[in-house]
Amino acid sequence: MSADQLPFQVADLSLASFGRKEIQLAEHEMPGLMAVRAEYAPSQPLRGAKITGSLHMTVQTAVLIETLTALGAQVRWASCNIFSTQDHAAAAVAVGPDGTPDDPRGIPVFAWKGETLEEYWRCTELALTWPGDGGPNMILDDGGDATLFVHKGAEYEQAGGVPSPAEDDPEEWVIILDRLRNSLADHPGKWTKAAKNIKGVTEETTTGVHRLYEMANTGTLLFPAINVNDSVTKSKFDNKYGCRHSLIDGIKRGTDVLIGGKVAVVCGYGDVGKGCAESLRGQGARVIVTEIDPICALQAAMDGYQVATLEDVVTGADIFVTATGNRDVITAGHMSRMKHQAIVGNIGHFDNEIDMTGLARTPGVRRTNIKPQVDEWTFPDGRAIIVLSEGRLLNLGNATGHPSFVMSNSFTNQVIAQVELFTKPDEYEVAVHTLPKHLDEKVARLHLDALGVRLTTLTKEQADYIGVTVDGPYKPEHYRY
Amino acid sequence: MPLMAGLMQRFAVQRPFEGLAIAACLHITAETAMMVRLLRAGGAAVSLAASNPLSTQDDIAAALAARYGTAVFARAGVDRRGYYRHIEQALAKGPDLVIDDGGDLVNTLHTRSTALLPGVRGGCESTTTGVIRLRRMAAEGALAFPVIAANDTAAKRLVEGTCGTGQSAIDGILRATNTLLAGKTVVVAGFGASGRGVAERVRGLGAQVIVTEVDPVRALDASLRGFRVLPMTDAAPLGEVFVTATGNRDVIAAEHMSQMRDGAILANAGHFDVEIDVRALENLATAVYQDVRPHVDAYDLGDGRTVLLLAEGRVVNLVAAEGHPPEVMDLAFGIEALALAWLAGNTDKLEVGVHDVPADIDAEAARLVLAAAGTSIDALTADQQAYLESWRIGS
Repeated sequence: MSADQLPFQVADLSLASFGRKEIQLAEHEMPGLMAVRAEYAPSQPLRGAKITGSLHMTVQTAVLIETLTALGAQVRWASCNIFSTQDHAAAAVAVGPDGTPDDPRGIPVFAWKGETLEEYWRCTELALTWPGDGGPNMILDDGGDATLFVHKGAEYEQAGGVPSPAEDDPEEWVIILDRLRNSLADHPGKWTKAAKNIKGVTEETTTGVHRLYEMANTGTLLFPAINVNDSVTKSKFDNKYGCRHSLIDGIKRGTDVLIGGKVAVVCGYGDVGKGCAESLRGQGARVIVTEIDPICALQAAMDGYQVATLEDVVTGADIFVTATGNRDVITAGHMSRMKHQAIVGNIGHFDNEIDMTGLARTPGVRRTNIKPQVDEWTFPDGRAIIVLSEGRLLNLGNATGHPSFVMSNSFTNQVIAQVELFTKPDEYEVAVHTLPKHLDEKVARLHLDALGVRLTTLTKEQADYIGVTVDGPYKPEHYRY
Repeated sequence: MPLMAGLMQRFAVQRPFEGLAIAACLHITAETAMMVRLLRAGGAAVSLAASNPLSTQDDIAAALAARYGTAVFARAGVDRRGYYRHIEQALAKGPDLVIDDGGDLVNTLHTRSTALLPGVRGGCESTTTGVIRLRRMAAEGALAFPVIAANDTAAKRLVEGTCGTGQSAIDGILRATNTLLAGKTVVVAGFGASGRGVAERVRGLGAQVIVTEVDPVRALDASLRGFRVLPMTDAAPLGEVFVTATGNRDVIAAEHMSQMRDGAILANAGHFDVEIDVRALENLATAVYQDVRPHVDAYDLGDGRTVLLLAEGRVVNLVAAEGHPPEVMDLAFGIEALALAWLAGNTDKLEVGVHDVPADIDAEAARLVLAAAGTSIDALTADQQAYLESWRIGS
């Protein structure tokens, strides 16, 4: 039996019962998703939806998947990162709440921790390939890989073939082209047909949203998209509160150093940097911020942080965190001047904020692995620094990323966006949309009860006075929160 | 002032100071007036002098004399000679008990009014500065009667030092200068209860705070709370606002002031005006512009830099603001009154020297404050009490 015919592919089905227990714990911490289930399950708004998901296959994602199925959808899933799958979550999703490892009754999921790039793109293609060689009619994407695969497939079908890779193309692009070449040979016209059937995509992250806007601007976007990332209850919450939680979790799991009394440098004072600085200060660290943007720099100064250049503070600090979204923020030169046992980590999306290649090329430097995702790099003079998660997202690499409650906000936006696109195709033309503000407010509202929040209701007179309705939306589109 | 109001009723019945003369040297404020009334309710004849030449509120002094039959010797802005003459006048009748705030009254008793010493049975000292002086006196064998160090109880450290000075020192700086603290670098000298209160609150306003210390334990405490700890020499060129809260002299000296940034603001939250070396600042300056705003003197250093000294280096929270809020003085004076009442009944049993406030008096004061605020707390069960007192039960 070839792998393509397997109903699912995960690392180890015997992990399913552990995964199920974690899913049950997460459900309690994901009140938005559970409220959506309770509200929509009776009307089954996603009946007939065939959703392909490409999103980190974690415990929280399992709760998302089972919310989509509770609303009537059929779902196929792949992870959107080769390392991010939690194998017990994947197993539990494959087995399903009613199945057993011997009699799995979950959904087709193709994901395990530590995929090769070839395996990763095969998993993506399998998640996009529905029984009878058809495609999905909805995509739920994180980073845009599933959307990219369909678009490139359709593009090359129109062009009559897949181009040969250029010599300097990255390895991953060569792999994508190979897969599409095989697909076009075996199933001609598959992706053009799939693109036509897809009612829309809901996109989770900045990176994927960036790709979507590019396609919309060049007229190559093939179906409507909802930018979930820019819902206030997603980006503000994920970035600030999620990172505030998981940054110090990662540092502590990785190193177990006392944060109180340490000097911590946070590079970047955007939403992520603000969350990082706050949590480090809350633990008693003295926080120094670096910034290139004068507005963010002034914000940091008014919040009482020292704002310095990395050059000026690199020799004196104990902990360094990059949160800029930019490349080469901490260079090999910086690292070679740091204090002995300085801790270096990145919480930005990509792994280019810390120049790990440059560090590895430093003459005489020696790498000693302490434990998974914790490396000591020793310079020839005997000084050493500790690098977390090889410069990749340390909150995911050394800890478990965003907590369930934060992901409940993001994923409730996802589910509502899926329902919007699937049930109101006439209201969303082929373009990139954001969720209307009243739905953003609804997501927030669904999370209040769990925290014991008592919301005040406007009187009619008060609502009229500020020019809103009693039920919202309460803020203009440009409001910054 | 719910604690003192409650004690007023208790003392009116118990009369712990019946027939006793009490001489007090305190800041002449509304809260002190309440203290005087409380002592009188307990049966004392009270005479009062000011403990600081600048902090006297003349209307309060007048009201105490006119309405509450107190022998008050105080006037705002009096010079040094007048200040000590007032203290001698307050002592003149020969007190049985004394209350001091900084040690000037006790010092006067032991130096210039020694004839009165045999009659004094004991006293209370309100401030850390005064207690330091008293302990030195006791160590040299110079102290002639038992004194209770009412400055230093757990409850008072928390409420008066951390909360009271922390709040009112910032109040004084803001009233005097109206400077925005967010984004400023503020140097806090001393991380005792008061310094910690200043440092934490000023950080809450958005300042970057640098702490200076001589005590490694306190310095470690500051560091673990996320404050930058530097020697004053290193902090001097960085700070925009300096607050001293050490109880020591020359904390900000010529060598520091000569390093400071243009516009640096100097304020003292410690008891005496010795923490900032004002004379050295005068020597450094080529010109002094007094009262550019009320309580702000500008010292022109002659090289384009100007340093602003608040309240002439005297305690800024009293001079430029209104001192501790009444809640703080309620607890401080409540503890002191309870301690003095206890002392009045136990002077025979106490040796000459400096004594701590008995812990149960501190607890009693805290309990009364909580009760007045409507806050209930748990009581140990008999089993819990027994557990705490036993040593046989382990894991």
